[in-house]
Amino acid sequence: MTRKYELVYVVSPEASDDQVADLHNQVEAIVQRIGGAIERTDNWGRRRLAYEIGRHKEGTYVLEVINGTGELMKEIDRRIKVTDLIIRHLVVRVDETEAVIARTKAARTKTSQRRRVARGLPADRLPGEGQRGDADDDRDDRFDMGNERGGMDR
Amino acid sequence: MNGRKSFGAKKGGRAGAGAQSKDGQRRPMFRRRKVCKFCSDKIDDINYKDSKLLLPFVPERAKILPRRISGTCALHQRKLRVALMRARQLALIPYTAE
Repeated sequence: MTRKYELVYVVSPEASDDQVADLHNQVEAIVQRIGGAIERTDNWGRRRLAYEIGRHKEGTYVLEVINGTGELMKEIDRRIKVTDLIIRHLVVRVDETEAVIARTKAARTKTSQRRRVARGLPADRLPGEGQRGDADDDRDDRFDMGNERGGMDR
Repeated sequence: MNGRKSFGAKKGGRAGAGAQSKDGQRRPMFRRRKVCKFCSDKIDDINYKDSKLLLPFVPERAKILPRRISGTCALHQRKLRVALMRARQLALIPYTAE
């Protein structure tokens, strides 16, 4: 049963670009050995961590979208756990959530088209049409508290 | 349109809560109706990678903003919580502010 997974790992800031590339190759090798495919690789570059991990304050984030089985991900997970250079990682299965998102999107466009046709409008929204005008106003309806968010920059 | 602003009573019977001023006089309380951000903006995908989307829901103490305050609907709050916890694991969002 092949499924779609997302793997994000944070590489220690001390690692050179070559080492990061090498880690990617290692993952790729496991994927090829066990059977599967890397759909997409995305290097987010060096980012500040929201909290210290070990003594690190920064890390290089790499995202890999992998099609494969649970056994494959288990093996990747095991290998990553013993890799000292990777300070944090996360594996998430995404195929089901993606399907749900696609379904809700499709349902939304369908109802909007049906309603538009019922009102005698063309099914698809024309460019420049719509109520984006007062959207700005609606947008700050959300918070009642009036407190500013401190967030990450402490 | 349902996105329009409506002043006055919040949903439910909690209108007038806290409307009393110091001298016991009743003043009409204007409170904006809270709308779920994800419903009104039609955001289907609450993704843990999108820290820009998630950050407004973690105020200074880095706790998850409750539904009572943010107005997020139950469905989206659940999805938001999962996304926030994943983002926390990857140090995209803090667990706590020291």
